[in-house]
Amino acid sequence: MQPTPPEESLKQKKKLLAVVSAVGVLAIAPSAALAQRAPAPPAPTFRWDDHPSIRFGRGTHIDFRARFSTDVRRSDAPLPDEDIGAFDIARRRIGVEGEIRNIVEFQIERELISGTDGWRDVYVNYKQFDAAQVIAGKFKLPFSLDQNTSSTNLDFIHRSLAASYLAPGRDIGVQVHGRVAKRILRYELGVFEHDGRNARTNDPSRVTGGQTLAGRVRVEPFRHSKSSAREFELGVAFTGSDVAEGFPGLRGRTVLDTAFFRPDYPVSGRRQRMGIEAQWRPGPFSVKSEWMRVRDERLALSVEDSDLSPITSEGWYVSGTWAVTGERKSSGLDTPRRPIFRGGYGAVEVAARVERLEFRSGTLGQTPSTSPRADVIVGNGDRVVTIGANWYLNRWLKVQGNIIRESIDNPALGPLPSQKSFWSRIIRLQLSI
Amino acid sequence: MRRRLLRTILAAVLAALPLPAAAQTADEVFDAQALHEMRLLINSKDLQLLRANFTDNTYYPADLVWGAQRVRNIGMRSRGAGSRNGVKLGLRLDFDRYTTDQRFAGLSSLVLDNLVQDPSMVRERVAMAFFNRVGVPAPRESFTRLFINNEYQGVYAIVEEIEPPFVGRTLGEDNGYLFEYHWIAPFRGEDLGTIAAYKPLFEPRNHETDADSVLYGAIGDLFREAATSDATTRERIERFLDVGAFVTLVAVENFLAENDGVLGYAGMNNLYVYRSVGSTRHRLLPWDKDNTFLQIDFPILNRLDDNALSRQLLAFEDLRALYLDTLDRCARAAADEDWLLNEITRSTALVADAARQDTRKFATNEEFDAGVDYMKAFAAARPVFVLQSLAALR
Repeated sequence: MQPTPPEESLKQKKKLLAVVSAVGVLAIAPSAALAQRAPAPPAPTFRWDDHPSIRFGRGTHIDFRARFSTDVRRSDAPLPDEDIGAFDIARRRIGVEGEIRNIVEFQIERELISGTDGWRDVYVNYKQFDAAQVIAGKFKLPFSLDQNTSSTNLDFIHRSLAASYLAPGRDIGVQVHGRVAKRILRYELGVFEHDGRNARTNDPSRVTGGQTLAGRVRVEPFRHSKSSAREFELGVAFTGSDVAEGFPGLRGRTVLDTAFFRPDYPVSGRRQRMGIEAQWRPGPFSVKSEWMRVRDERLALSVEDSDLSPITSEGWYVSGTWAVTGERKSSGLDTPRRPIFRGGYGAVEVAARVERLEFRSGTLGQTPSTSPRADVIVGNGDRVVTIGANWYLNRWLKVQGNIIRESIDNPALGPLPSQKSFWSRIIRLQLSI
Repeated sequence: MRRRLLRTILAAVLAALPLPAAAQTADEVFDAQALHEMRLLINSKDLQLLRANFTDNTYYPADLVWGAQRVRNIGMRSRGAGSRNGVKLGLRLDFDRYTTDQRFAGLSSLVLDNLVQDPSMVRERVAMAFFNRVGVPAPRESFTRLFINNEYQGVYAIVEEIEPPFVGRTLGEDNGYLFEYHWIAPFRGEDLGTIAAYKPLFEPRNHETDADSVLYGAIGDLFREAATSDATTRERIERFLDVGAFVTLVAVENFLAENDGVLGYAGMNNLYVYRSVGSTRHRLLPWDKDNTFLQIDFPILNRLDDNALSRQLLAFEDLRALYLDTLDRCARAAADEDWLLNEITRSTALVADAARQDTRKFATNEEFDAGVDYMKAFAAARPVFVLQSLAALR
């Protein structure tokens, strides 16, 4: 999570407040009308199942959520911040979420670590009609399966590089989404202020996408089948935005956040993302894969004021998991069948992922150059293999371990210039309420 | 995988195709018999910035077009001291700034001298040619018509950069320590005391990461030894300076009536310093000769006493004789078959039309013609003046 400049942060907060207020009023209006006709609501009751919750009768509740995690990291390569490298309080988040009369749902989540862009999901979703729901506020753009998977439910400690650095992440916007065709097809289409937090850096001179249109369609073609094929899902997604002339914020970083590609090449024009995703979760197994590409135009940026080849940032991954203790992957492993302290040992899952993230541009026959006006840039790529194990002790506690092997195409630009490949090890303890 | 294979095959096919004629050697680039044509392509926004901020040394990316050859992604920046301006840019081109090991005709960099300080536009090139004629290593130069984004910029001198390959070509080794002298304030060879005082004056052009004591220790020693006079002065200075080469350089500069060189009007200027690895002895190399040919009757002993090095060394009979003999040799080399006059005549004829079309030059066409006439007069009269002065001294 990167800090945001104070002025930008204030501006974002105001916009966020305005959008959420407007949608909140629209969402609450029908529920208020219903309230006038309905009998007096029952008294609030407090419950603690998975997490603390206050319930106001049927369909209305507020849940309190918190998540804390701690990482222990070791790497052959230097870490971006050595003094927090070995032992790192990775996340401290609190939030509330809930529903109002099963018509409106909302979520507010905040990061507690200072110096970061604290607000995470802050949205209201009007969901009266399954085929056409409206969500407004700050939330993740509809792009990338991995990026849109909650960090609580990730198969690995870190998301894939492509999802972390190419997918947009969160931004302020409004989106229509729903399920149609007997819930076989899900769609999301939204307009956002920018093209997401992942496209930004701490450097305010770096440019990012302006108003962004984003869409995603997912199909479960065998949803109504009796076979395990019903768990198969395929999706495509896109985003489009204009980027003002300047050095882009998209960058290449290793799993532990060290730069291997610094995009000191100006861009100008359209930024377009394209993504394809697929997952299949038969029983205790799962296979997931994504491919995504971001193309940044470089209009009128050559030494002759003509267009340069776009900078292409491309990534993919293939991953698989196996719940050794037999839980169904599609149901989630976060509620183990035999939790620890209740006669069991929790749920255990093993996972493996192969992935790649690369940056390039240009045409044949030219020598790559670091010139900001080079048609063929000095690109770079990172290929990563991750082997992991996840231990869900009970519904609140999770321990993850990952062994990571990274290979940088051009190690001179990476964290360990003398070495093409290096190992990293991470263990994470996560408490989710 | 398939795409990579396709790329490899296509790259191999492209590499096998015959290339159009291109400058293969530096000799072609510095061929002084031709008026070359050089084209630079730079993004129009970068060009605006370069002109507006000509006092900065910021590099901008550009392409160089030389005949059918195009050198892509070179670095280009404003350069010069008194000649630096935003109208007729003085330029330095670095071919490997953005592309590792890229060369143009075997060169890693070039200087494009805008010639704005010389109405005749030929002083710089003729002076360097004369240094080479009398055996003093000096950069090679030629003339070019320069176009930036297809707009004519005027006549420029293409100047060989003093860098390790130059030293290798002229002195037979290229791994020593090379420094560019920067004029900060009048410096006439005084002992400045600390090593730190020499750092702003002598910029290392290689071995940049060596310790200051390694880089500047021997330079400080040179000027410290020149500051005192006793029976061991000659021996002490010789440990740190090639005194013969120094006296020869000073004499040739005097013959050329150089007003801004080793014995310049404002102290030392326009020079490089070279020192072999494992040695403490330095050698001075001439640079930027726009201010030569100042006046025909430039006194032959001008400012010899101003500089600590020349003052100390020319007190020795043999070195004074070397100085006077070199002046004599210069006068005869210039007059021999009218070499200097012919060189000036040929050079001015080569650039005349292009110079008249050069609307960015600081001189008018009338001043150009007058400058040429003066240069020819200098060529005819300077050898006579020097020989007469020598005769009067002896």
